[in-house]
Amino acid sequence: MAAAPSNVLLVDDEEDFVEMLSLRLQEIGETVLAASSGKQCLEILAATEVDVIILDVKMPGMDGIETLEKIKQAHPLVEVIMLTGHGTIESAIQGMKLGAYDLLLKPADFGELVEKLNRARQRKQEQMERIRDAEASKP
Amino acid sequence: MEQGRRVNGIELLLVDDEKDFREILVKRLGRRGFKVGALESGEAALVRMQEQPVDVIVMDVKMPGLNGIEALKRIKEDHPATEVILLTGHADTQDGVEGIKAGAFDYLSKPVEIEHLVRKITQAQNKIRRFRAAQQETEFRERITQQMVVAERLAALGTMASGVAHEINNPLAVIQDAAGWLQQILAKPEMEGMARRADFEKALDRIHKAVQRARRITQQLLQVVKTQTAELADPAGMTDVRLRELAEEAIALVEAEASLKKVAIHLESRAPHPVAWTDPYQLLQVLLNLLTNSIQATPAGGRITVSLQVSVEAAKIAVQDTGSGISPDHLTRVFEPFFTTKGVGQGTGMGLYVSWGIIARLGGLITVESQVGQGTTFTITLPVKK
Repeated sequence: MAAAPSNVLLVDDEEDFVEMLSLRLQEIGETVLAASSGKQCLEILAATEVDVIILDVKMPGMDGIETLEKIKQAHPLVEVIMLTGHGTIESAIQGMKLGAYDLLLKPADFGELVEKLNRARQRKQEQMERIRDAEASKP
Repeated sequence: MEQGRRVNGIELLLVDDEKDFREILVKRLGRRGFKVGALESGEAALVRMQEQPVDVIVMDVKMPGLNGIEALKRIKEDHPATEVILLTGHADTQDGVEGIKAGAFDYLSKPVEIEHLVRKITQAQNKIRRFRAAQQETEFRERITQQMVVAERLAALGTMASGVAHEINNPLAVIQDAAGWLQQILAKPEMEGMARRADFEKALDRIHKAVQRARRITQQLLQVVKTQTAELADPAGMTDVRLRELAEEAIALVEAEASLKKVAIHLESRAPHPVAWTDPYQLLQVLLNLLTNSIQATPAGGRITVSLQVSVEAAKIAVQDTGSGISPDHLTRVFEPFFTTKGVGQGTGMGLYVSWGIIARLGGLITVESQVGQGTTFTITLPVKK
């Protein structure tokens, strides 16, 4: 499925959740990285190429919105899907206005998650292709 | 209902055994604008009070059979709010004093001076009017207080329930994905020959279904809480809704269920085209919920009436059934989350809670009245466009 090597980064302070979701995504052939805080997320991003981030809105310390803003500043092409509970939908929507690709309501249906993940990845790859084409046609 | 009839006027009755006196007094009072019924004995007055009580009685003390004082005592037992003016013999103050002790409004001695009697009757009428006004005010205040208590209770419960729902959602997600992971593994080709494979699949399926059920509950809870915190609904969803069409749609959707239970549903509208300013989809959800509840509570041969009313202030939709009714101690709790009298697995107790949340968010009010064995009425009050 993932033709080009592609990394998914899961960011959530609930470690059991991150572990289980990682295992499921790995089971369908994804390469998954995990972070339990916004800070850790940014550290991984600085060192590793990531295509799509699944980012929890509500985390202690640096929350999802703040993390998203920092991600978009440093890595504008990375696609972000906001993971949200019912109480934080407003924040997730704000996240989409700040450049997140979509949002997922917790507890998310796995099929839906995979679908959104694939679409986000596709968008990123298309954007990368356009950039490559533009660079190739440079005089 | 009885109150409605009584509020309209104050009924007056004259009781005296002397026919001529009665007729003259009825005529003279009639000329002064009083409509008076007349009876010839204390016994007749008691019968009348049982059948069709009056508010003010002018009664002679000296009558054969049951005298005025005795009749007064008996009337006051069952009708403490009825005022009795006694007519005593000339200079017979003893009877008058005894009458006052027994609860008479006042006494007048014969021969009666008409102006004096008119003044007394008017005073008694005023007293009754004041009493009724005070009674209505008390009832109104009690109703408002009760509604406030219910609303506060629901808000507090909602806060707690949403906290619980939030905390439950995280472990639920873990359970869901752990079970989902195992299902994925089972689906791998290399797992095909696994021992007791069907048992694993069965157990995982049950876990999956239970998680779905728990998810629905937490979502409903959080939906209501969202409605509480978001104050009013998004005005974009609000529009002029024709209530008759909406009610017809709701009735059509539950018709099959109702006819299966042999319950008839009627739609009544006092206005030709009742319209409310609201969100049609959310209102339909609430109506369906109320109708389904009513159908379940109503035995075969019963009847559900949906009635629509509009005024310049508000639109009202009432769903009235001839079902089993709700006992008074349950009545204050029907809007609480998880409150149900149905068996395990039959109902989550969320329907009315969710309905209450929706109507509150639409800027309306939902109230309930019920009589055990008679039936229940839910009334939705919604704003109209000014």
